Amino acid sequence: MIEAQGLTRRYGEFTAVEGISFSVADGEILGILGPNGAGKTTTIRMITGFLPPSSGRVTVNGHDLFHEPIKARREIGYLPETVALYGEMRVSEYLAYRAQLEGMSRGDARAAIPRTIDSCLLGDVSHQIISTLSKGYRQRVGLAAAILHGPRVLVLDEPTVGLDPKQIIAIRELIRDLGQKRTLMISTHILPEVEQLCRRVLIIDRGRLIAEGTPTELREQAQGSSILRLTVKNATPDIVDILARLEGIESATERSENDQQIAELSPEERAATRVELGYSQAIDPRETVFRTAVEQGWVLLEMVEKKASLEDVFVRLTGQEADTPADVQANMPAEPTTIETDSEEVAS
Amino acid sequence: MSGLLAVFNRELRAYFYSPMAYVILTFFLIVNGWVFSLIVSHLNDPRAGGLATPLKFFFGETIFFWLVLLFITPVLTMRLISEELRSGSIEALMTAPVSEAQVVLGKYFAALGFYIFLWLPTLAYVVIVGRSSEVDWGPIISGYIGIVGIGAVFIAAGIFASATTKSQIVAALISFAILILLWAIAFIDSLVTNETVKNILAYIDLMTHMSEFGKGVVDTRRLVYYVTTSALFLFLTSRSLEAKKWR
Repeated sequence: MIEAQGLTRRYGEFTAVEGISFSVADGEILGILGPNGAGKTTTIRMITGFLPPSSGRVTVNGHDLFHEPIKARREIGYLPETVALYGEMRVSEYLAYRAQLEGMSRGDARAAIPRTIDSCLLGDVSHQIISTLSKGYRQRVGLAAAILHGPRVLVLDEPTVGLDPKQIIAIRELIRDLGQKRTLMISTHILPEVEQLCRRVLIIDRGRLIAEGTPTELREQAQGSSILRLTVKNATPDIVDILARLEGIESATERSENDQQIAELSPEERAATRVELGYSQAIDPRETVFRTAVEQGWVLLEMVEKKASLEDVFVRLTGQEADTPADVQANMPAEPTTIETDSEEVAS
Repeated sequence: MSGLLAVFNRELRAYFYSPMAYVILTFFLIVNGWVFSLIVSHLNDPRAGGLATPLKFFFGETIFFWLVLLFITPVLTMRLISEELRSGSIEALMTAPVSEAQVVLGKYFAALGFYIFLWLPTLAYVVIVGRSSEVDWGPIISGYIGIVGIGAVFIAAGIFASATTKSQIVAALISFAILILLWAIAFIDSLVTNETVKNILAYIDLMTHMSEFGKGVVDTRRLVYYVTTSALFLFLTSRSLEAKKWR
């Protein structure tokens, strides 16, 4: 659906994006991940035809963006990073304007506008003046304008930036619905968003494509063996040795927490022993661990299988901490490792 | 084509949604109404000796006519593109399947449309005069042709200025400077000795143009001048919009 070859963009001396190539298949949901300033927006702008690449080419559904810009742009619905709308217009007026701009016939527009207003949950505000709307609603109006003409490809640049947690959830749900019928390309620096929405991820750093794959593939790349974390009450002093001897266990270490993490634990957990087990993926050691604990009289307060999160991949590849939005952080336990399960809760 | 229409509709409506339009309209009608009443009272004064071509006074013979034109057109055009650049709405506009030319023309015709709308109420003066005397339609029609022609040039210059900057104020100042140049260039006539330059200056002297239009003379060379100058500015606007992407 989208083919990008060797995209490079220079601003004077500065190279914002260098030699990025990728393709997006029909119906795929592709995430572009990268720290702020990595070149995500520049890449997106080259895909949507707002910025011409300094070198390289883009085709959308077979239409070269340089040679057939109008045809190529017609295939794309685009939500820019800063959703700038005309403040003096009403929502329905704005959509009517966009429909005409997209070259829709009157009949098509008359059918599409109410449908889009419905699907973007804008019914309550469709007669309101845009400048009076909250950021979340404006984002939805921008999204409505992007999908109005029924584009086959939808390109969203940081669709949830600057929204409150409730709005983020609403927008994500909307995006997930939209992704069922369309090819979708989303740029973001928020990791849970990518994990939830995208089937394939590109990681961009300092203008270069540094990793590509499904979230699972990327996680596997980041980590060879799996890790099991235990929190044990009434542990015997030889707990580490006993566990290390179990079948399939490659390593066992007692884990210490930092002060902040300890402060968040309950008194009971604070008194407990925390152990981290490395094991080969061939054998699941959980049952053995449980039975051993019972035999030894240990009380298992917690047993968590730690999967490498995209965050680990990200940190390893870019050497930077990823941005996790404050709301997600607040809901996250001290264990960053449970990010997947936890962010699901935030999203639903 | 539908893209051009969409832009035209939106821009024309945007004028009426903003208070600025009504401020301009009021200012415009007060000045023109005052000039008209001066002309009428002059014609009514038996000591004044009358005017051979009174319409000349309404169309361009007074400084008020030019002040209004030189101040109002930059205000009408300053917002057109600079505001899109400032707010970033240009991104949603230029990624829609429309060409730069369609966007520029849509905005241009909207501004020109509003400018013509500003002049419409002055037709009431014709009706008022028509009640007490016979109306000579020739100079009236040619006068309005001149007004639209010069307005077309001024608005094209203004929209070009608007495409060069994100700031509406700067856009207004740039277009004001261009308009002053277009309007006043012929004033250096007396400093020039070269015959060819003198001829060219005479050809592009807007004051002479309006004075002749006010007498009922429609010289097609002047219309050609308006059309080509407007086209040049619009071409430059479209190019400058394209060039923005490459920087």
